[in-house]
Amino acid sequence: MTDQERQEMVVTPWEVSGDIDYNKLIEQFGVQHMTQSIADRIARHAGYMHMQLRRGVYISHRDVDWWLDEYEKGNRVGLYTGRGPSGHVHLGHMLPWFFCKYLQDAFDADLYFQMTDDEKFLHREDLTLEEAIRLTYDNSLDVIACGFDPEKTHIISDSDHIQHIYKLGLKVAKRITFSTVKAVFGLTNSNNIGSIWHPALQAMVCFLQSDREGKNTPCLIPAAIDQDPYWRITRDVAEKLGYYKPAQIHAKFLPGLAEGGKMSASQPETAIFTTDPPKVAAKKVMSAFTGGRDTVEEQRRLGGRPEVCNVYAYYYFLFEDDDEALRARESACKSGSILCGECKKQLAERVKAFLVDFQAKREKAKDVLEEFLIKPVE
Amino acid sequence: MANKGAPVVTPWEVKGEIDYDRLMERFGTEPITPELLERIRRHTGRLHHMLRRGVFYSHRDLDAILDHYEGGGRFVLYTGRGPSGPVHLGHLVPWTFTRHLQETFGSKLLFQFTDDERMLIRDDIDEETANHWVHENALDLMALGFDPDKTEFIVNMRHVAKLYPLALRIARGITCSTMRAVFGFGDDSNLGMMFFPTMQAAPCFLESERAGEPVPCLVPAGIDQDTYWRITRDVARKLGYPKPAQVQGRVLPGLTGGVKMSSSQPLTAIYTTDVPELVERKIEEADTGDHPARCPMHQYRYLLLTEDDDEAHEHYVDCLEGGIDCRECKARLAETVNRFLGKHRRRRRLIRGGVDKMLE
Repeated sequence: MTDQERQEMVVTPWEVSGDIDYNKLIEQFGVQHMTQSIADRIARHAGYMHMQLRRGVYISHRDVDWWLDEYEKGNRVGLYTGRGPSGHVHLGHMLPWFFCKYLQDAFDADLYFQMTDDEKFLHREDLTLEEAIRLTYDNSLDVIACGFDPEKTHIISDSDHIQHIYKLGLKVAKRITFSTVKAVFGLTNSNNIGSIWHPALQAMVCFLQSDREGKNTPCLIPAAIDQDPYWRITRDVAEKLGYYKPAQIHAKFLPGLAEGGKMSASQPETAIFTTDPPKVAAKKVMSAFTGGRDTVEEQRRLGGRPEVCNVYAYYYFLFEDDDEALRARESACKSGSILCGECKKQLAERVKAFLVDFQAKREKAKDVLEEFLIKPVE
Repeated sequence: MANKGAPVVTPWEVKGEIDYDRLMERFGTEPITPELLERIRRHTGRLHHMLRRGVFYSHRDLDAILDHYEGGGRFVLYTGRGPSGPVHLGHLVPWTFTRHLQETFGSKLLFQFTDDERMLIRDDIDEETANHWVHENALDLMALGFDPDKTEFIVNMRHVAKLYPLALRIARGITCSTMRAVFGFGDDSNLGMMFFPTMQAAPCFLESERAGEPVPCLVPAGIDQDTYWRITRDVARKLGYPKPAQVQGRVLPGLTGGVKMSSSQPLTAIYTTDVPELVERKIEEADTGDHPARCPMHQYRYLLLTEDDDEAHEHYVDCLEGGIDCRECKARLAETVNRFLGKHRRRRRLIRGGVDKMLE
């Protein structure tokens, strides 16, 4: 691809498009590069190195080293992530959730999981509040199916659980001005007043565990890097309120099945949803964009290009835990000894197997949903 | 906000010389006409002294409320208070009138405590203090004789779940530009203040939402709160709820001649908890006017305390004709106020337990 063909990168909490240049983002957002020593420290506590750490899914961070220091001093640490429930959950959404589960186990950490159904409602004229809340509970099944500990996981629907978060939300809201929100999120006077208010609620969860437990607890947010603007304003408020600044660890975007971009729920054919019938998901894999050549002959001669291949990316990020096997697949691709059809077929099988298992867990989650919802402080 | 020199009337401050007719014109509200009064009288028997004397003088859609009521429908009353301090006589003016409306029309009252707003605009009121005033103020309200079965308190921080879904629907229909134009918010306003008006608007639609059918809402309040209802009325149509109606009243002047009794200036106000000696002293030190129409003493009787027209008129004439001097007038007023407050405090004590339960 030439420079002219590259699409301009847009990364905001509402839009991710164009060709993502992570180094530029790291510089632009003023965050730190992920390091091997941080990955090693996390792995030491977990007992193993998570695939996402080995594969560089986490490209940058803020203060993770401090969060680890606190844990190593014997202090409790917490986790926070969330989702705007606007539709079905796809594999891209779950990438950080799988990692959260790993961190929860490794650090015995409480996870606060926010469903920003109010934000979705406020930003979309076509969505009713009832539907947004319904999606919260539907998407919660996906969260639960990731295997979190019900004792240590607190799912919050902004709309339905406002009584648990309003007071602290007000304290945060009081310390953020309209001009800050305009500058950080690019909101304008023509935005509705709800969308102006909502960042306060997304920010407050960083302090929620500390507030509920009456003890300052370091909070780590594993999330995609597009959410970073929220944490920047939260960090500014933290000191004023006497809480720790939240730490972040930023994930890359999982590529969609079509060429370029992140997996997008608004383009259903580019994403594998947890609710896709396994056969449908397999079909999507079979029609995915790959790094293959135009003809079989050409591919045998020149080899494929895993570096631009979405199917390879799926193996890399989710479906091939074994580093040896991944390397073998990469060289088979590059040497032209495996063709895209076969490679896709193998991935489709894995995706199907994953979905059959996950959908069974998702079904069981319905019985325990209540246990995962945030409760009043005792 | 207001032009230079024009009276400042926003939900946060009432300052300057108030010309009530001009306010009505500026806010675009309707006068309560003799015809409308006559219509109300048919339901109330004798007109309440606050209507007879034009204390409540302006409205929006009060006629529509009466249409609905006369057609067999019910309507809900809604008012409220920021719980930042004790209640003074000025607060009791709209509450007394509201109780009259509840009694006459059998309406439910929603009473909102905006403890969230207090927290957003003030630094000196913590949660404990706000809760204290919620409780104290609720006692003052209920001591006026509201029907506990027909009165629901909404303490925003405690009961936010009742309002938030409605507040979100309202918020989606109001742009920041509107907020800036109507409330004078600017870039330095905090996010909470930008959102808060939706929480104050939400109770207007709460009964309709609960009933699943239109239950119009009537808001009796000082005219200084008008801004909220204007934006709420704009949103009502978009959301398919009846527009909230208002009856708007005059505000009780301060003892020192200011235009409004103000909690932030203790000497200008008589609180329901003031002991008799303090009431006497405050009134003794109060400013009087050169004419009863400009005298706080007269206003207290006329707007709130003296229900009997003959008695009120007698004082007025006595003053005008020099039959009574200011000292004597003040002494009598202090007596009236203390009698009134004595009864009020006794009722407060009696209902304490019931109010605790209502606030849960």
